[in-house]
Parts: sequence; structure tokens; C-alpha cells
Amino acid sequence: MHIVVLAKVVPDYEVPAGDFELTNSRAHARYKRMMGLYDENAIESGVQLKEKYSSSLTIVSYGIKGDIQILRKAVAMGGEKLSLVVGNSDDPHIIAANLKMAIDKLEDVDLVLAGQQSADMDRGIVHGMLAEMLGFTFIPQVAKIEQDGDQWKVIQNTESGSSELKCGGKAVLSITSVPENVPRIPVVRSIFAAKKKPVDTLSEIEGDAMLIDEVLVNIPKMESVCEFLPAEDDMAETAKILLSKLREERLI
Amino acid sequence: MRTLIVEMIEPKRLGELVTVSREFCEQPDIVAVGTGQIPGSFAKAYQVEDTVAANLVSDLASLIVNEGYEVILLTASTLGSGIAAPLSVKLSAPVVSEVIRIQPDLVVERPLYGGKAVASYKLNKMPAILTIRRKYFEAADLQGFTDSSLLSITEKKVELIAEKEEKTEGIPLEDAEVIVSGGRGIGTAENFSILQDLADLLNGAVGASRGAVDEGWAQPTQQVGQTGKIVAPSVYFALGISGASQHLAGIANAKCVVAINKDEEANIFKRARFGIVSDYKKIVPVLIETLKEEA
Ligand SMILES: Cc1cc2nc3c(=O)[nH]c(=O)nc-3n(C[C@H](O)[C@H](O)[C@H](O)COP(=O)(O)OP(=O)(O)OC[C@H]3O[C@@H](n4cnc5c(N)ncnc54)[C@H](O)[C@@H]3O)c2cc1C
Repeated sequence: MHIVVLAKVVPDYEVPAGDFELTNSRAHARYKRMMGLYDENAIESGVQLKEKYSSSLTIVSYGIKGDIQILRKAVAMGGEKLSLVVGNSDDPHIIAANLKMAIDKLEDVDLVLAGQQSADMDRGIVHGMLAEMLGFTFIPQVAKIEQDGDQWKVIQNTESGSSELKCGGKAVLSITSVPENVPRIPVVRSIFAAKKKPVDTLSEIEGDAMLIDEVLVNIPKMESVCEFLPAEDDMAETAKILLSKLREERLI
Repeated sequence: MRTLIVEMIEPKRLGELVTVSREFCEQPDIVAVGTGQIPGSFAKAYQVEDTVAANLVSDLASLIVNEGYEVILLTASTLGSGIAAPLSVKLSAPVVSEVIRIQPDLVVERPLYGGKAVASYKLNKMPAILTIRRKYFEAADLQGFTDSSLLSITEKKVELIAEKEEKTEGIPLEDAEVIVSGGRGIGTAENFSILQDLADLLNGAVGASRGAVDEGWAQPTQQVGQTGKIVAPSVYFALGISGASQHLAGIANAKCVVAINKDEEANIFKRARFGIVSDYKKIVPVLIETLKEEA
């Protein structure tokens, strides 16, 4: 079995709102680059499947050459190789078409895992587009995966709980975060080994852009002014003040 | 514009999409997903019992082409995210996810970078597919019911084996006027029980950050934030939550945030109306006692 995990390198998603700046409608280039948070859950899920079913695992990404260094972390977590399509489009159709190209080149892919949402554009749509382009079944927000004969048995998280689903054939699954797929930190040996693992860089194909115009990107103002309540000694007094303020404004 | 809503039969979710549809048409059509009567008045209604997104995409695409729908509305949800992107490829149609505002002239807004920025897009090719973020549009009051015809499924790709409802005590998070949420700062699963005690006294519900859910201290259904529940309570207590932008994205429409955090620099205080710099273990039991005394 050959599993592909999609990983995207993004600008630091932990930058607080107050420090966030844009250049050319995108996060300022000065922010450090890091792996998407949900992508790490997807990689961990892929590694667990690899360990359980003795599969092979390839990390596939679309991004800039400079990202290779960060993507090696994904390889260190348990991938065998990295395939990077070099490009800098933000268009989800173009990204999906390029990921399809990279996956087609691998020829024998059975399962594609992706984080449920990237940590920059936050769209959560590229994996679903890719599935349709590949002709694979798409299931989003997957928390658990098992092989059941020639089928996949998955648990999908929903707004009210979860669904147990079964599908045959090839699939793209978007992975949500659960305690079971919180990434394990790779051991030093794996980090060194990852430096020697193969990296295929592919030139991007053109792809049809999604027909939509981005008009504007701006930073919304956060207008709350916090009133700090005393918290040094008399907590009973603090509790009373808080409750009376909330009541005054008919909030409770 | 010919507008089609595709949504589970759930009055609040439907109501929000009906409100959005009024930006595009007088009365939308609907594909209602699930069983039961379809609340509200729709020009034309179809019903499909199968609730698995992957099974619906093909037949929805044919319906959209045959009927000439121009705007397709879904909720940003498990169902919506399962349908929107594959459908967009099938129809060569643009898709905008997590829409929070509709401006005139077919301009729609969505957040990005964890809500630190907002982008607006002009829809200039139809059909266009929009998934709508919950709690940004007042739910329309749905009167009466609409009769439907069956939308048959021709391609069953995925089988639904079982569904599990996560039971929550008391009021559902989405409807609660008071939410007491805990983060990684709560420290253990057991400590979450005092959040429940406080919530019970305030007739509220307990939420959590992704940090607390990742630790296994709270259920994924309790996660508040951009990839959890979007909530709009009167009061949101954030206990031991740092206030990452992705968490704040879920409480943008909360009227009042009360932050309790040991770290006076924590970002949550930038969103809070009232802040208490303290260990939550010192103040929460006192709040509970005070409320009990007052009862
Ligand atoms: C694409 C994407 C989507 C995401 N979606 C979500 C989402 O939907 N919801 C969400 O919550 N996060 C989401 N996140 C994750 C988010 O970035 C943060 O990692 C997460 O919110 C942190 O959780 P936390 O505040 O509980 O933990 P931490 O950031 O670790 O904060 C813990 C806080 O507790 C305080 N503390 C510690 N002990 C005490 C004590 N005894 N008393 C009082 N305070 C104490 C600390 O000072 C600290 O501020 C998302 C991230 C990405 C990239």
C-alpha cells in the first residue's frame, strides 16, 4: 500500500492578531515558515497507518524550494521521500491540479491524507478538489482510519458527534485533530536520516485558475478594551464585582 | 438569481442559509438532506435521505446543470465541506468557503490567516458555490413546511455504518447564552468538572479550546474556534485559554468575553471585556460559591 500525505508550509500561524501585517495582500514575508498544524495531524495519522500496515509513505507538497528544509520534518516523522511541486500560486484549482500531477507520477497511490485546513488561507477545499480530479472518494474531517479487507473504515467527526463510514477503492481523507494523532516528536536519528532521503522537485503545470477575483485583503480592527478586575487578595470581592458588572449589563 | 440551498433538515442551519439566500433571490430552492418535514417555504424542494456528502455530489451536479442554478449555498460544516470542493471541480465553478459577509454586487467576504485578515472576492462566474460560516447571519424564521420530491442517488460511494451523537449535558453549545470554556491551562480532564459546575449555575454550556481537546480533556464537539463551533453567547468565560486567533475566530460574535488567565500578557485579554489575572483555580470556586449563596 502506498500512502501520500499532503503537507503545506505556511507563515507562522501563531503570530498574534495585534502583530499581524500584510504585504501584497499576504502575510508579511518576515514571518518564519512552518508546517501547517493539521498537516502534522495528517502526517502522524499516515505514519501510524504505515506502521500498522507496512505501507510506504510519501510526502507531497506544492510550494517554494525554500520549504524543503521544513518539509524534511514531515519526512523525519516517518515519510520515505518528498515530492515537491515548485510553485507559488494561491489558487486552489491550480494547487490541486499540481498535486494531482505529482500523485499521478507516483503511479501506485492508494490513499491520500491531508490536514483538514491549511494554516494560512484556511479554505479547506484543495483536498476535496484533488479527490475529484483524481477520481478518488473524498471524506472530510476524519479522526480514525482502519483497513477492513479491501475497504477503508473511517470515523468522521461531525458537529454533533461522529459517523462511522466505509468505502472501497482509492480515497482522499482530510484529517482532523484528535488526541490519537497529536504528532510524536521525531527522534534525533530520524531527523538526521531525513536529510538523506530523496527529494523530487517537479516543475508546476499551468492548471485552470478558479474564476473569481480577489478584491481586497485587509486586517479587521479588534476593538475590545479589557477592564482588569483586582485579583491580588480578596477573590470573593472580585467574584462579586464581576457578577454585578455582568448583571448590570444584563448579560447574565 | 436562481439559488439552491443544500442543507441538513435543521431549522437554525436552514434559517441562516435562507437569510443569506435573500441577498441573491426572493425564494430559493432547496435540496434538504435527511429525514422529516422540510421547514420553511421554498420555491421547489428536493429531499435526499442519504447524509453522506460523497454520495450526493454527482446527482447534485446534474441537478444544478439541468435547473441552471447560479448560486449554491451550504453551511460550512462536515456536510458542506464534503460537497463544496468536489462539486466545484465537477461544475468548473468557483467556491468560497467560510463566508461571513455578503456585500452588494456579488462580493463576498471570508476570513483567512486564522481570522487575522479578511478577504473579499467578486463572484464573476456562475454557478458559484458558497459555504457559510455559522452564526454570522441571523436565522430566518421558517414558517410552515414545503412538500418535496425525491432526489435519487445514483452513485453510492460511501456506506454509513453508524452515527454517534455526543451527549452534552444541558444546553447545546451553539445555543447557549453563557459559555464557560477551558483551555490547556485547565491542566487535567477532572478539573473540567468545575467548569461544568459554573456553567450549570449560569444555565450555560461548557466549551474548550483545541489545546484542551487535543489533550483529551474535552470532546471534539466542544471545541470552539475556526475549526470547531462558532458561537455567539452573551458571555464567554475563557479560562486557561491563550487566545490564539483561531480560537478567537469562533467567538467573534460573543457580546462579552471574560478572560481568566495567569499570564497578564495572554492575547485573550485583547479580546476580553473583563479580565482577571489569576490562576483559574483561585477564582472559579469563589464564583461558584457566590452564585450558590445568591441563589
Ligand atoms: C488551521 C488552524 C485551526 C485551528 N482551529 C482552532 C480552533 O477551532 N479552536 C482552538 O481553540 N484552536 C484552534 N487552533 C489552535 C490554536 O492556534 C491554538 O494552538 C490553541 O487555541 C491553543 O489552545 P489553548 O489556548 O488552550 O492552549 P495554550 O496556547 O497552551 O494556552 C494555555 C493558556 O493557559 C494559561 N494558564 C496555564 N495555567 C493556568 C491556570 N492555572 N490558570 C489560568 N490560566 C492558566 C496560560 O497562561 C496560557 O495562556 C487552530 C490552529 C490552526 C493552525
